[in-house]
Amino acid sequence: MAEYIIKRLIYSVLVLLIMTTFIFVVMRAVPGDVVTLQLANSGATEEQMAALKSELGLDKGITTQLGEWVSHAVQGDLGTSLWSGKAVSDVIFERIPVTLQLAVMSMILAIIIGIPVGVISAVKQNTLIDHFLRVISVGGLSIPNFWLGLILLTGLSLALNWIPPLGYQSFAENPIVNLQQMLLPSICLAITLSASIVRMTRSAVLDVLHSEFIRTVRSKGAKEWVVIFKHALRNSLVSVITLIGLQVGYLLGGTVVLESIFSLPGLGNLIYESVLSRDYPIVQAAVLMFGTMFLLVNLIVDVMYGWVDPRIRTR
Amino acid sequence: MSQVQLDTDLPKGRVTAGRNLHLKKFGGECKRFIVTQKIGFVSLLVILLVILVAVFAPIIAPFDPVAQNREAILAAPEPQFFMGTDDLGRDVFSRIVYGSRISLLVGFATVVISIFLGILLGMVSGYFGGIVDMVIQRIMDAIMSIPALILALFIAALLGPAIQNVIIALTIIEVPRFARIVRGEMLRIRETNYVEASRSVGANAVRIIFKHGLPNMMAPIIVMSSLAFGQTIIAEASLSFLGIGTPPPNPSWGLMLSDASRYMESAPWLVLFPGLALSLLVLAFNLLGDALRDFLDPKMSA
Repeated sequence: MAEYIIKRLIYSVLVLLIMTTFIFVVMRAVPGDVVTLQLANSGATEEQMAALKSELGLDKGITTQLGEWVSHAVQGDLGTSLWSGKAVSDVIFERIPVTLQLAVMSMILAIIIGIPVGVISAVKQNTLIDHFLRVISVGGLSIPNFWLGLILLTGLSLALNWIPPLGYQSFAENPIVNLQQMLLPSICLAITLSASIVRMTRSAVLDVLHSEFIRTVRSKGAKEWVVIFKHALRNSLVSVITLIGLQVGYLLGGTVVLESIFSLPGLGNLIYESVLSRDYPIVQAAVLMFGTMFLLVNLIVDVMYGWVDPRIRTR
Repeated sequence: MSQVQLDTDLPKGRVTAGRNLHLKKFGGECKRFIVTQKIGFVSLLVILLVILVAVFAPIIAPFDPVAQNREAILAAPEPQFFMGTDDLGRDVFSRIVYGSRISLLVGFATVVISIFLGILLGMVSGYFGGIVDMVIQRIMDAIMSIPALILALFIAALLGPAIQNVIIALTIIEVPRFARIVRGEMLRIRETNYVEASRSVGANAVRIIFKHGLPNMMAPIIVMSSLAFGQTIIAEASLSFLGIGTPPPNPSWGLMLSDASRYMESAPWLVLFPGLALSLLVLAFNLLGDALRDFLDPKMSA
């Protein structure tokens, strides 16, 4: 197991490195850079622009820039914003808690809804309840989460005359305001996510319920809830956890749109602003941060396999 | 002379007979699909209906989708504008009708290009294996490890708001997903006896890939296409909603929702209808994808 985790770690670092190169190259291959944007209407001469470029290190070859960036990043220095001059790491760490809270809350909500509903759907296979739950879950997958956000906002403001308080406050500052601001976007993200968890749980549990060992357990006279929760659900968890790991990508992507609707100062919002202003160091670091979160969650998922399924642990 | 006659006639006859047989078989399969997958068939009809609406938009839409009407600003749904009008007095129904063109165009272009590139990369990766496979797969992994919408946002914002840029951004997201499926299938097919036999009689890589590889992986590609179509439509709407997708005044459904968010309380119909259209079309593609999976590959479904 330890050897396997080390292998996965090396793989993750390799993928991050390729990701960095990819972002670096794409960003610089596209026309328009920060200097041109900043000095667009100032009437600066060619020489002044060239001077600023060399000051910011943008005149060097792309491989040199990439090499410098990586060697600094490894030492924990992510550079400074080309616009504000603030340290990139400070800007990023200011934003991360918002996105993280949103993602974690949605994930918890989605699991709380998704797994039980999936189990019910599987146990009641082909009954009216099952059909109903399946229709609802495909529907949940098809509704764009930002539309859900708009509908919820509209409905609440028309029916109850209530809108979430403006101006973001962290949980530590004011837990009540914070939850009022975070709950709606979390619900929007959780609905799509729970829909896919329901589908995966249902098909995995059904798969297990049809296997031979369940017949053995039943023939021993085990109670139905023991069969379902101790055996069927436990054995389906590997596929469900895998799905959750993969869906983290969807979850993190979804935060961008919801942060925009609910005006939350998160990482997604930061990327959006910085790409438009061509603030390379910030975009670079923020996209990497999202990639790292995704890889990290999937690394944890890999480790959890061993915890859920002892057969994998000993392999 | 008669010898020559025979030579040219025989294969021709065989080919047409073969084609008829294929056609008959295809017809039979279609019938079986309609009978066994009723929900899937209805979804297909919904998608065909939307395609018809997109094609005949100028006939169906009562108004010009970008024409502003100062007399009817934020008009509530009424017989004349039965889905209401927006803040510039544009008819919401006409804009939704024309908006279907954008959703379908972006979805279709993205899926077709992604299938093509995905097959190319996946085949090369799966057939040759080794270092080629290693390099291609790590690059695909890197792209897939960036959350899809973040990557789309990044690329679309860099390139600027334009429909072709949305297509480029969404294609970059979808290609690795197709490439991964194709590679997996190719690895499986490469080890089968019929490919072994084909190789032993001297068939080259290109022949094996196109003669044996492609036809045997159509099922997962078709299922994946339907699901990818739905995801792409949502992604286009999301990008347009953020203001970096389809540029105004084009009637993209995402853009309409973005405009609507400023009038949530005074004109809720602006929020309702474009979102309904979007959800219905995506639902149809998701249900069709599910039905196709049940139909083509019973092993893949529960």
